[in-house]
Amino acid sequence: MPPREGTYGLLAEFDTPGDLVRAARQARQDGWRRLDCYTPYPVEEAAEAIGFHRNKVPLVTLVGGLMGLAAMFSLETWISTLAYPLNIGGRPTYSWPAFIVPAYEWTILFAGLSAAFGMLALNGLPALYHPLFNAPNFRDGATTDKFFLCLEALDPKFDLKETKVYLESFQPVSVVEVEY
Amino acid sequence: MAHETHAKTLPASLGAPAFVDGWKSRALMVGVVFSVIAAGLAFADGSIEHVLRAWVLGLMMTFGLSVGGLALLMVQYCSGGKWGLLLRRPLEAMSRTLPLVFVYWVVVALELKRLYLWAQVSDVSAALKSGFINEIQAHAIEFKRPMLNPGTFVWVSLLCFAIWAFYTWRLNALGLQRDSDSPSRTPYWIKKLENISGPGIVVYSLTMTAAAIYWVMSMDPTWYSSVYGLLFLVGQGYMVLAFSIIVSIGLSKAEPFRTVLRQTEQHDLGKFMFAFVMLNIYLAFGQFLIIWSGNLPEEIPWYLDRIRGHWGVIITLDFMFHWLIPFTLLLSRDIKRNKKRLVRVCQWMIFAKAFDLFWLIEPNYKDAARNLHFSWGILEYAAVPVAMTSFWVAYFCMQLKTRPVVQTNDPHVAEILEPEHVHA
Repeated sequence: MPPREGTYGLLAEFDTPGDLVRAARQARQDGWRRLDCYTPYPVEEAAEAIGFHRNKVPLVTLVGGLMGLAAMFSLETWISTLAYPLNIGGRPTYSWPAFIVPAYEWTILFAGLSAAFGMLALNGLPALYHPLFNAPNFRDGATTDKFFLCLEALDPKFDLKETKVYLESFQPVSVVEVEY
Repeated sequence: MAHETHAKTLPASLGAPAFVDGWKSRALMVGVVFSVIAAGLAFADGSIEHVLRAWVLGLMMTFGLSVGGLALLMVQYCSGGKWGLLLRRPLEAMSRTLPLVFVYWVVVALELKRLYLWAQVSDVSAALKSGFINEIQAHAIEFKRPMLNPGTFVWVSLLCFAIWAFYTWRLNALGLQRDSDSPSRTPYWIKKLENISGPGIVVYSLTMTAAAIYWVMSMDPTWYSSVYGLLFLVGQGYMVLAFSIIVSIGLSKAEPFRTVLRQTEQHDLGKFMFAFVMLNIYLAFGQFLIIWSGNLPEEIPWYLDRIRGHWGVIITLDFMFHWLIPFTLLLSRDIKRNKKRLVRVCQWMIFAKAFDLFWLIEPNYKDAARNLHFSWGILEYAAVPVAMTSFWVAYFCMQLKTRPVVQTNDPHVAEILEPEHVHA
């Protein structure tokens, strides 16, 4: 695939999360769909404002957890009853109370790993390149104290001039054009 | 636009809304109805044995909500946080219900002989000879006599009540003084309440352990478990949080809680309660696993009394009721953020706690150990605690009305009035 060229989108910078949320909400209401918010910490209202939908990470986590539970419990059962049955204080070889703790630990382990890797697999990270890092104010501010709204050029409503005027109506600190 | 603030303002009146009186009269009505049912059941059964056993269950429920509320009040003074500011006044009102819990306890103290084997048996060797108790019980009762006798029972309990009353009085008085003081003195008040509450939590865990051992564990004089006090402590956190969530969501139908209860803090409280659900099963299962592994003749009969003879059904239900169901429901973020559903979970959890106490208390008695069977008396467990808790709720509502329900002299007030996205 040849490298993409041209405009990735227009990036508006805000000082407060409140301003970002209001701008994002308005943009979504005005019909924008290819847009994204960038904040130094999770701002849940921003995600809601741009119509963040449910994802499959909880399902992946649940399946992972159940797999861990089943794997460890059957491993213990197999070892204690078939592979290496031991008489411990006259207890039955299938002593389920003793199996619970390791099975529980594996549930947590598998669920945790599934959540982490499932999240990475579904959100496309780690990404080696993202056009937004071409904007100097984004590089400096996105992880410290600035809040960004990006309207992307892929949106059918996008027009370099009109969109810039539209974004400026939110009174951001700045609006910059981002190249691919 | 960039510099406008969107903070809400506190409503002018911070008093409890009028419908709290409605809660009170409804609770009183339920209390009276269930008292009548309890009396009817006692007639049908022909004895008050089960009334008294169920009375202890009701005592442990109301004690947990009242003094457990005091404990959570001290915890939030030490930990800080916006959830603490929200719950402060409801928790204070819960702690001020201590007199009613004391009245409930007096009934237990008057009926020691019917409730506790060690109080019933004054001459151990005669009781052993007549076959009333077995050798293990005889040994345990004799050996534990310095601790398990009516005098010590009463004095230790009175001492505990005195200590709880002192902390209740101190924290409630300072809470009001803090609000009438100027905001510039807030740091002083934060430090002051922290310094009282910190040692208070330690003192509380010790006195509460003593109470749990005397009031419940000593029903079976042969058995002991070192995690017992902690189990009750965590159980109190479990039901106190459930009850305070019900109260705050109920209050949020009107001002001032409509303004101050944000979804973020409701979600936080749900997560906090989830932690207690986990801790509760962790300790309960840990105790079971250790005793099961040890399989010692001193300890294991306590569990066998509670598993054999159809009690296995109850312990399985207990596991599902007070862990599996709240755990799976509270995993969901949507349920924790939904007022109606979270209240349903909380109500369920309070019921589950009472069910757990039933499993702890009833098999201590000879007629019920390893033998779960129907009698009119056993239904008292569904009548007496409901009546006692309802009267307690009515008293709580009275206490809730006596002060504003939001504390104002606190830096968190400004934060709680801001829109939810402002803080991480």
